[in-house]
Amino acid sequence: MLKKTAIEKIPELAAALMDKGSLLAPVKEASGHNFAEIKDPQKVDLNFYNTIISPKGAFFPHKEDFIKYKTGKDASAEEVDVDSKPVFLFGVRPCDVKSFSIMDIHFNGAGIVDPYWSKRRKATTIFGYAYDLNQPVDATDFYNSLGIYAADTEGSDIFMVKTDKDLLLKGITPKGEEILAQLNTLVDAGKDDEKYFEDTLQKGKEYKTRFLCIDQDVIARKLEDIFNNNDFWTKVSSACLSCGACTFVCPNCYCFDICDDTLFGKGTRRRVWDACMFTDFTLEASGHNPRTQVSQRLRQKINHKYSYHVKKYGVISCVGCGRCTRSCPVNIDIYSIVEEALKV
Amino acid sequence: MTDFKKIEENLKKEAKRLLESGEVTVVLAYGKGFDEKHPMPYAAKSVADVDNIVFNEYCTYNMARYLVRYPQGTKIAIAVKPADSRAVVQLIQEEKVKREDLVLLGIPVDGMKNSKTGEVIDSKTTNGMYNPVLYDILLGEEIHGQKAASPYDVLAEYEAMDKDARWEFWKSQLDKCIRCYACRKACPMCYCDPCFIDQLKPKWADKAPQSPGNIMYHLTRFHHLAGRCIDCGECSRACPVDIPLYLFHKKVAKECEEMFKQASGMSIEDKPVLVNFRVEDSDKILE
Repeated sequence: MLKKTAIEKIPELAAALMDKGSLLAPVKEASGHNFAEIKDPQKVDLNFYNTIISPKGAFFPHKEDFIKYKTGKDASAEEVDVDSKPVFLFGVRPCDVKSFSIMDIHFNGAGIVDPYWSKRRKATTIFGYAYDLNQPVDATDFYNSLGIYAADTEGSDIFMVKTDKDLLLKGITPKGEEILAQLNTLVDAGKDDEKYFEDTLQKGKEYKTRFLCIDQDVIARKLEDIFNNNDFWTKVSSACLSCGACTFVCPNCYCFDICDDTLFGKGTRRRVWDACMFTDFTLEASGHNPRTQVSQRLRQKINHKYSYHVKKYGVISCVGCGRCTRSCPVNIDIYSIVEEALKV
Repeated sequence: MTDFKKIEENLKKEAKRLLESGEVTVVLAYGKGFDEKHPMPYAAKSVADVDNIVFNEYCTYNMARYLVRYPQGTKIAIAVKPADSRAVVQLIQEEKVKREDLVLLGIPVDGMKNSKTGEVIDSKTTNGMYNPVLYDILLGEEIHGQKAASPYDVLAEYEAMDKDARWEFWKSQLDKCIRCYACRKACPMCYCDPCFIDQLKPKWADKAPQSPGNIMYHLTRFHHLAGRCIDCGECSRACPVDIPLYLFHKKVAKECEEMFKQASGMSIEDKPVLVNFRVEDSDKILE
């Protein structure tokens, strides 16, 4: 059943969701939109292209406390619980929704179940949100190349499409339908709305991002073949500053560090995002660092996403959201690098 | 307004000549990016590479950042806009590069634009100068007669805040920091290896993107750049979450200039203010 609410009533919908659990939704910040926990329903803002930082933090926060401890005479340690109250992740673009299923491989599959990720995943209802097909595509996006389209419902519990005056919502999974049925602020959508919704899903296929024919096995093998082609890697990385902006905004980068932070006998053991672009990422206890060069680090990043990941898990670890390119201080474009690699 | 096409032509011509003659082995300039609005820093190492060189209003990068990547003694030609030339001068003062190893291709500019926002870059976020302070070859016409605003005008609002308000301002700004370190990596003056924030013994701050670690990182970096920041604004442009880092740098630069009567990176005859002692130096720093 398709439901709807008037755009000006989105805060009411937000408030209804906040009654049921926590609401994570895009809010406008000085530099652009980002997902944040909503305290004031008026702050939910669906007029965005995509957020600067991906929504992966909903399941895999930038910092996550594991243990609080005390050292010394009264040494003690206490585990920090993951809150398992319902979470509504509201307004996620289809490419980002896709990223969650790729991240599941690492945190909820492949022989390892990360309790923090999986608890949050279970507790969260995902409200996917079609790109606005009347707005131009950002020049950096290339999710079409990864087989993702602007209005794909796959992976969402509820999928949302915005019309001129309404927000249309459709339950995709039983979990989503159940939530929708409980939301009294929504009204049933009419026949015209149904048509608009279905048309949008279809038209999403024609909303073209940059496109490169990427056969994942071909690119995986190619990158393996050119691993030792130093000229290539030096060339594509010559501008790279080796900062962590690309990995921190990426929906699919999942590397982390676990640190103990102790001060005056009290401390926290926590997980913090780490980035393969940092010099000390591979620094070993002996002092040896296998990746001292920027070119080696950028090669690792590209190969991890487009080669090792394909070989190990059968899928490219990139959804073409374009964030890394948009955030790069020197405009390094992963799409162009993949394109170049295929030409070598 | 700068004639960008003309400068691009001259840049290519000079790059070609310098590489052909063997006078330099690398030309640090700007190259094509994924589209015209997004050029990239570019190192041309052969005559064939020169074709990839571009120059337009979005070529904002401070190429001096890349100088320290090359072993000392490498002969390098570098495209320098006004702020970039000051960075090179400062690096010469700090003995990170030698004057005789460099060929400075000077570019006077007016109307550079931030490729993320499209905004014109002026004295608000940079030193707002039009002409390079040092160059060997000038690629365009020097710009004179333009009204030059003080790079410190933008501080008026900040300086009107009291101590508490400033603390609150920076706390809220630095809370946004995601610790990607794009600021230090884009900075031509941040060349420490390792950077203090990467040290484990002692560990100066935790890795999590929160205070006090964020404040520790930024305040230390701000102070490490005292008297050295040449106000190119690259740190603020590099920041993915738009922290106005330039404000702090400008404030420190202004204080430094008032105390020591010397702006950073203006002349290779100068010594960096904080390593130089002059009897007439202000004692205000000790107060």
